[in-house]
Amino acid sequence: MGIFRARCADCHGIDARGIRGPDITRVWAEGRTDGGLFQTLRNGVPNTEMPSVGARTPDVEVWQILAYVRTLAAPAPNDPPRGNAQNGERIFRANCASCHQVNGKGGRLGPDLSRIGAARARDALVNQIVGAVEGSRLGYEPVTVTPQEGQPIHGVKKNEDLFSVQIMDTRERIQGYEKEKMKAVADDKKSAMPAFGPDRLSQSDLDDVVRYLQGLRGFDPAVRQ
Amino acid sequence: MRATIARLVWIAGLSALVGAAVAAQQAPPPQVSEQELLDGLKADGSRWLTFGGDYANHRHSPLTAITPANVNRLMPQWTFQTGTLGNFETTPLLRDNVLYVTGPQNVAWAIDARTGRQIWRYRRELPATGLTACCGLVNRGFGVLGDKLFMTTLDAHLLALDMKTGAIAWDATLEDYKRGYASTLAPLVVKGKVIVGVAGGEYGIRGFLDAYDAQTGKRAWRFYTIPGPGEPGHTTWSGDSWQRGGAGLWVTGAYDPELNLLYYGTGNPGPDYHSDSREGDNLYSCSLVAIDADTGKIRWHYQFTPHDVHDWDATEVPVLADLTIAGQARKVVMFANRNGFYYTLDRTNGKLILGKPFVATTWAKQIDSDGRPHLEPGQLPDEKGEITCPDITGGTNFWPPTYDPSSHLFFVNAREVCAMFYAWKPEYKEGDRFTGGAAQRVTASDRKAYGALRAIDPITGERRWQFEYLTPSTAGLLSTASGLIFSGDAEGNLLALDSRSGTLLWRYQMGATMHGTSPITYMLDGRQHVLVPAGTTLTAWALPPEASATR
Repeated sequence: MGIFRARCADCHGIDARGIRGPDITRVWAEGRTDGGLFQTLRNGVPNTEMPSVGARTPDVEVWQILAYVRTLAAPAPNDPPRGNAQNGERIFRANCASCHQVNGKGGRLGPDLSRIGAARARDALVNQIVGAVEGSRLGYEPVTVTPQEGQPIHGVKKNEDLFSVQIMDTRERIQGYEKEKMKAVADDKKSAMPAFGPDRLSQSDLDDVVRYLQGLRGFDPAVRQ
Repeated sequence: MRATIARLVWIAGLSALVGAAVAAQQAPPPQVSEQELLDGLKADGSRWLTFGGDYANHRHSPLTAITPANVNRLMPQWTFQTGTLGNFETTPLLRDNVLYVTGPQNVAWAIDARTGRQIWRYRRELPATGLTACCGLVNRGFGVLGDKLFMTTLDAHLLALDMKTGAIAWDATLEDYKRGYASTLAPLVVKGKVIVGVAGGEYGIRGFLDAYDAQTGKRAWRFYTIPGPGEPGHTTWSGDSWQRGGAGLWVTGAYDPELNLLYYGTGNPGPDYHSDSREGDNLYSCSLVAIDADTGKIRWHYQFTPHDVHDWDATEVPVLADLTIAGQARKVVMFANRNGFYYTLDRTNGKLILGKPFVATTWAKQIDSDGRPHLEPGQLPDEKGEITCPDITGGTNFWPPTYDPSSHLFFVNAREVCAMFYAWKPEYKEGDRFTGGAAQRVTASDRKAYGALRAIDPITGERRWQFEYLTPSTAGLLSTASGLIFSGDAEGNLLALDSRSGTLLWRYQMGATMHGTSPITYMLDGRQHVLVPAGTTLTAWALPPEASATR
């Protein structure tokens, strides 16, 4: 923690979720490996602001920085694992897969969860599922676009500027709209992700789903000929 | 013999051609004179020769061919791609139809303003290791005098380049880059001297402003932004903290030829957030300093943020104007500060005329009659964290504002953002970061960050109008006598607005934001052009020829 705070936090933030530099708690979910990240720290990113840790920093300290950032991304659980992953997968398929991909299967409206077990801790997963997290992640903010004629289009925001918005609608169509040509473009208050409170998901089913998600560590998309 | 005759015929033909061209447009003298620099932006639009267009940093062009009525007919003329990593933060210069532009990575170009084609390219190899530029491998522009261009480098050198070829004329070392020094600002050339400063406030440097002889590269004087033992202000630093107290100078200042004073804003004290080791006001960090251009001696200072703990460098662009305030003619310097306050100071003596927040501030709400900010409680960063507005990047920052002397309005891109600030005790290691803290974004739904282009009356500090952006913009500005203001948003839109009302008139999606860059404008072959650096591109804009002719 000491090395991270002294050398990295000024740009990446004390929580590693980005200030001047990018959010580095999501790198594992995006598919970066420990080995690759070690090399990034060791060499820096040439021709950018990201410096090398320097020749004076021993390898063990580089690994300590990475280990610490990993705890910021997904702190190790304090309690023993619980729940049945197999049942969790069944519940996931029935309730979640229409919006979330896992290993190349499922819907696209929500974030891909193929590596979520490496990226987020148990508590964070539970909070997300029961709807206790305020707001939506960038790229998944709910929005309603109302054309001059026809039905309102609901979706999630992929990008936006003062004059246009780019969305994925609930039918997974990606499309840009010019604001001045629409009747209305409005941010929705309610997340596109329904809250799975105790009325919809029992404690033991919740444990099972979380156990399943914790086991998701990515997959190899390489085609074997 | 035959070859010689052919050559003579060829030269004669060439001379006839040149004669014709001269009739259409008089070529300027080969050497850039001091008078040209003093004259600033001329009504003929033939040049842009200093960072701010003139020594007062108005960035306000007298050109009127492009107007609020026809700006929507602007068309791209060409686009230039840098072909390097990293983005522009530069203000290009123009003379005799040639653009002189610095880019990231110690690269610079001369470019044909008619076509966007490169004439020469200069590149200085970056050191393989040990470079410490905190916030991007950037450069903010050239200075010029005689037949030489002046450019600072990321490894803390000042170079003179031959305007015609880009060949190096002389190379002066400002300081050892391995000790945390870098230089990114556009040099200001004043009375035959090249004025430059150093960055490195996050690396335990001791900041300074230097003057070098434009002919020889010999140093004429040095002003340390942190006074040494025995000098006035030295005791505003406890212990030996002055030796690595920061206070860099990385944005070009202004110059008043009558008073012969240079005005520069200074950077934050170091370590940035943990300040136990540097008790006191920490002069002249976070200040505006007025420096005698001949001797480098300080005439006066005004400290915006005594004992700063939020990394609020006062490295914004000072803008000079002559105003009538309460019936009296006043020579003022206007300054929108990273700390969230707008200031109008008397530039003859540094006395505060007006100081007022132009964004939401929590650390102080007013300036007391003694010129010091009235501090609010609970705004010191610590291990637990304190929420403060503005955030680290500040209410504004190094991106240039403009001033319209006809409407007496000061225009600035402002940010409404707060942050959680932390502090802890740092250890100093030469060449390493030395900040003693960090910050965290505040993302509560009731604290949505946004930005706005604001028009401020420098006599009252009141806001005349604003144009709100979706997110905070870091673009510099350009205004014109026809009542236009050019800006950019963080999403990559180039925007033209009516400078009297803030109404949006025209826009174009460039694919990159004008981070820290400003457009310039000039006349080329009878048509007004607007040149916009954004990301890795320069794009030249003009009205269609027929629209220019029938304006």
